[in-house]
Amino acid sequence: MLEIKNLYASVEEKPILRGLSLTVRPGEVHAIMGPNGSGKSTLANIIAGRDDYEVTEGEILVDGVNILELAPEERAAMGLFLAFQYPVEIPGVSNMYFLRSALNAIKKARGEKEMDAMSFMKFVKEKTKLLHLDDNLLQRSVNEGFSGGEKKRNEIFQMAVLEPKYGVLDETDSGLDIDALKVVSDGVNALRSAERGFLVITHYQRLLNHIVPDFVHVLVDGRIVKSGGKELALELEAKGYDWIKDETTAGVN
Amino acid sequence: MSVETIDRPVSLVSLHPYGNEGLPAWLIPMRASAHARFLELGIPTTKHEEWKYTSLREFESQSFAEPTFANLSDDDIADAVRGLEDAQRIVFVNGIYSEPLTTRLSQEEGVEIRTLQCVGGDPSNKLKNLFGTVARTDEFAFANLNSSQFRSGAYVQIHRNTKAERPIHLLFISTGGTASYPRVLVHAEQGSEATVVESYVTVGEGTSFVCGVTEVVVEANAKLEHVKLQSESERSYHIALSEARVEGDGTYLDYNVTFGGKLTRNDRQVFIGGSNAHVRMDGVYVADGEQHCDNHTRLDHAFPHCDSFEVYKGVLDGASSGVFNGKIFVYLDAQKTDAKQTNQALLLSPKATIETKPQLEIFADDVKCTHGATVGQLREDALFYLQSRGIPLKQARALLVYAFAAEVLERISHDGLRSELESRLYQKLGTDQG
Repeated sequence: MLEIKNLYASVEEKPILRGLSLTVRPGEVHAIMGPNGSGKSTLANIIAGRDDYEVTEGEILVDGVNILELAPEERAAMGLFLAFQYPVEIPGVSNMYFLRSALNAIKKARGEKEMDAMSFMKFVKEKTKLLHLDDNLLQRSVNEGFSGGEKKRNEIFQMAVLEPKYGVLDETDSGLDIDALKVVSDGVNALRSAERGFLVITHYQRLLNHIVPDFVHVLVDGRIVKSGGKELALELEAKGYDWIKDETTAGVN
Repeated sequence: MSVETIDRPVSLVSLHPYGNEGLPAWLIPMRASAHARFLELGIPTTKHEEWKYTSLREFESQSFAEPTFANLSDDDIADAVRGLEDAQRIVFVNGIYSEPLTTRLSQEEGVEIRTLQCVGGDPSNKLKNLFGTVARTDEFAFANLNSSQFRSGAYVQIHRNTKAERPIHLLFISTGGTASYPRVLVHAEQGSEATVVESYVTVGEGTSFVCGVTEVVVEANAKLEHVKLQSESERSYHIALSEARVEGDGTYLDYNVTFGGKLTRNDRQVFIGGSNAHVRMDGVYVADGEQHCDNHTRLDHAFPHCDSFEVYKGVLDGASSGVFNGKIFVYLDAQKTDAKQTNQALLLSPKATIETKPQLEIFADDVKCTHGATVGQLREDALFYLQSRGIPLKQARALLVYAFAAEVLERISHDGLRSELESRLYQKLGTDQG
C-alpha cells in the first residue's frame, strides 16, 4: 500500500502541499487531476525523493515503511517508480547499459540474483515489443535526441523493465499526439495487475479514456478537494476546475 | 621590475655521467650539447610562462637513483599488457631495454621494432637522419635532459605501404625510486598504417621520475594512431614531450590518457607539414587526491587544406589540479584550415581546480578555427534521474563521469585496448569516489 498521510511540503519557504492524504492499494489506479500550480508535480517528485522540497509535516508509507528519509535509489528498490514529466537526457550512457545497471542495482538491494548481459538482452527484447520501440533505441544514449513521444515511451518502457509495485506517472500524456498517447497507454495498461498500483497525474482527462482509473482526485492548492470515480474526470473536462474551486471556497466559508 | 626568465640552476636532479653503451657514435655530440642546453635552461620555475601553474619545488627536493636495469617477471607486467595481448611489444625497464620481457616479440613483415642501439645497423641512415630533428626541443629543459641522459629507446619503422596488422606496444616500466629517460622514434613511412601504444607504468614503491621524449614522423599518405597511456603510481613525476610531424595527406590520431602520476606534465605537439593532412589530438585525464596533471598542446598548421580536431577532457576529484594550455598556430599560407579545439573539465570536489587557456594565433584569413572550454560539475537532474531508477548515488556519479570521459576513449580503434581503458577508467572512478 502507498499511503500519503497529511503531507505538507514547501519549496523555498513557499508552501505547495497543504495536508494531502491519499492511499493507493495494489491493483488500483488513482488519477490526480488539478489546475496548473496545484502541486501535482511536487507530489510526484516528493514521492520519488527529489530533494528540492522540504516536507514539513506528514509521511509517505510504502507497505508500512516511511520513505521520506530514504534516498531515491532506496525508494526504487522498494518498488517505487516515477515516470518523469521531463525525462533527462544522459549523453554517453546507452539505454541498455543504464537499464541493466538499474535493474541489477535494485536486485542487489533486494538480495536477488543479478542478471547477466545475455539474459537481460532477451528480457528487454520482450519489453521493447510492448512499447513498439525500435531495438536501436536501446543502443542510443538515454533520451538523447529522442522526440517527445520517444522520451515518454522510454519512461514506460523503463517501468516495464523495472516492474515496480507502485508507478507514479507525472503528466505522461503532455506533449503526446493521439497515436503516441495510445501506445503509452497500452503500455501502462499491460502493466496493470492485482499486485501493482498506479498514481496517474494529469492535467487532461484525455489520458483517462485510455488508462481508465478506479479513482479520480482533484488537487487544488495542495490539497485533495474532491474524490470520485472515473466520471469525475468527465465532469472536470466538461466544466473545468473553477466550479470545484468555488465549491471548495464556499465550503471553507 | 624585470621578469626573471632565467630559471634556477640545476642542483637537484643529479646528473650522472651518462652511459653511451652501444649507442651510435653520431649521437654522442648531440647528447653533449643537449646536456649543456639543459644546464643553461635549468629547471623551470612558476615564473616561466609555460610553467605558471605547475610548480616543481617539491620535485626539486627529491632525489632519484640513476637508471638501472631491474629484472622483472611476466607477472609484473600482466596488468600493463592486458587488452594488448596481440601486440608486438618491446619493453624497457627504467628506460633500459629488457630482452627477457620482450623475447616473445614476433615482428610482422615491414614492421621493425628495435632499440636505439640499432642492432642490425642503420644502412640508409634513416635513424640518423630523423633522430632529434622532429621535436623542437630547444626551449624544453626536460627534453634536453632526456636527450643527454637516455640509455636506450624504441625505434619503430613501418615500411612504405605496409599496414601493421597488430598494434605496436612500447611499454616503459619504472621501478620506484629511480629516474628514467624513455625515448621513442616512430617512423611511419609513406602510405603505411599502424597503431602505436606507449604505456608507462610503475612497479614497486618509491618516488620515481620519468622524463620522456617521443618523436613521430607520419609521411605522406600514411596513417598513424598513437596512444599514450600513463598509469604510473601516485608517487611518480612524469614529464614528457611528444612531437609529430605530419606530411601531406597524412593522418595522425593522438590519444593522450593520464590516470596516474603525482605530477604529470605533457607537452604534445603536432607540426602539419603538408596539405590535406588530418589530425586528431585528444586527451583524457582523471585525477584525485593531490594529483596534478598539466597538458600543454601545440598544433602548427603550416599548410593549407588541413583539419585538426582536439578534445581534452579532465575529471578532477579530491584536491587534484589540472592545467590545459592549447596552442594552435595557423600560418599565413595555411588557407582553408579547419581547426577545432574543445577543452572540458569536470570538477567533482570543491577543492579540485583547473586552469585552462586556449591560445589561437591565426595568420591566414580564410580559415575555420574555433575553441571552447567548459568547466562544470555533474548535473543534479541527471543524478536524480539515475537514482530514481535504483542506481545508488556513488554508482550514478561514476556512470556520469564515465560517460563524460569515455567520449575520447571510444575513438581508439583497437577493441582490446579500448575496453581495457574503459574498464580502468570505470575502476578508477568507482573506487576513488566517496
